[in-house]
Amino acid sequence: MPAGLDNLKHIVVLMMENRSFDHMLGALKSVDPRINGLIGNETNLDTTNEPAKVLPQAEFQSQLDPDPDHAFPAVNKQLYFGTPGPPAPPSMNGFVQSYYDQQKDVQHSHKIMYYFTPDKLPVLTTLARSFALFNGWFAAIPGPTICNRAFAHYGTSFGKVTMDMFEIKPPYVSIYERLLAANPARSTKLYYYDTSSSTMEVVNLLKNQPQIFATYDQFLSDCKNGDLPEYSFVEPNYSDHEGDGGGEELASDQHPDHDVQAGEIFIGTIYNAIHENPDLWKSTALLVVYDEHGGIYDHVPPPGCTPDAPFIAPLTDTQTGATFAFDRLGVRVPAILISPWIAKATVVPGPEDPVNGRVFEHSSIPATVTQHYIGAYDARSPREKAAQTFLDLLGDTMRPDTDCPVFDFGN
Amino acid sequence: MATPSTNRVLVPKPARTSFNKERPLERNTLLKNQVDHFRELEKRLLAELQTGIQYETVKTEGQAAEYIKKMTTILHPQAFRSGGK
Repeated sequence: MPAGLDNLKHIVVLMMENRSFDHMLGALKSVDPRINGLIGNETNLDTTNEPAKVLPQAEFQSQLDPDPDHAFPAVNKQLYFGTPGPPAPPSMNGFVQSYYDQQKDVQHSHKIMYYFTPDKLPVLTTLARSFALFNGWFAAIPGPTICNRAFAHYGTSFGKVTMDMFEIKPPYVSIYERLLAANPARSTKLYYYDTSSSTMEVVNLLKNQPQIFATYDQFLSDCKNGDLPEYSFVEPNYSDHEGDGGGEELASDQHPDHDVQAGEIFIGTIYNAIHENPDLWKSTALLVVYDEHGGIYDHVPPPGCTPDAPFIAPLTDTQTGATFAFDRLGVRVPAILISPWIAKATVVPGPEDPVNGRVFEHSSIPATVTQHYIGAYDARSPREKAAQTFLDLLGDTMRPDTDCPVFDFGN
Repeated sequence: MATPSTNRVLVPKPARTSFNKERPLERNTLLKNQVDHFRELEKRLLAELQTGIQYETVKTEGQAAEYIKKMTTILHPQAFRSGGK
């Protein structure tokens, strides 16, 4: 067993909101050609049949307003515009057309093609260049937040492709309940930002299993005191609201139209909290990943996957004229695995590499945590059983601290 | 850390104008759905445990946060006892 895996005691997952790979990290291709980002000549046709090109003009806020549609039928258009639709290969040509549908403004629809330059996202791009960047991590389904986050918690969305609350169906239980019921029992927490932000998709768990929840302040305290559980899932702040002391709590989820820089600070603070405790740093793997693309352009066609039988999303939910067997993935999202046991500037190849490429999706999260802490476990969805796990990226050599970044927020 | 890192990365702060708790809830489908989910749960609670907040009055991010805070405090009293954050 590699020394990094032998030392691993904690897995932390931070799931952000609604940004595509190319939007956040596509510009990194110009500094490292192994990264499957943007060449700069990618286009979508707008509604006047003029090409709308990718441009490095993404802004932190006030640009993607209204919130780009990322419900199942809209994503279907983004993926398949100009084709007969599945099972044809995705064209990735409908992002501009889809955004046009919301405001009927041709120039505004082009903004869905904008991407950030690396200097604007110092935290995310530094982490991507310092640790392991996945070229092929995709949303679990081509749809919105709730059903995608469900895959991170349960390895399935129980047949849902919408934002509706899902009904838990046996034999599947959340990764948290699996860990608590394991022999020996494993420790786990789901940290939400504060009571005003709360948890997003698992309010049923909050009602039935409140002991697994804690707040972000508790996460920071647990990092400092060495009390972090074996598996942690961290949620950002989902709203601008007043804090308990009367100050302003700025949303940190990066969901349009929330400020992307606030999310940068949130990601960097979580990294720093782990990094500043030497014992924690050498024994923790932190995964930063986004739940879905939020309707924003990415150039890589999502691949097919193992169907999530027996679940079939009905016509009333898909609204595309076809049912959905959960047999293809959603749009690609940023994903970075962080640990001092990972070689600097690791790029995990994706579908662009037909020989060595690997495809990850949100089921990879419970699959990895189950594999590491529980071992054999049969009561899992077909998708989770087929999902790639990612702890093999931890190697034998621990990098010196001088080789790892520290984020300075100028406090 | 015992050994200071030489790779210090400066991270800029968001603009002071970024905060907007008056942002209409209808412009954030995610937050609106979160409110809807808590509302569904609230309907199943005993009357004395319900928030008393009329659903129709939740129209901004700030109002959504107030409603979510009340529901979370009901469902997760441990967080309330520790200060809510």
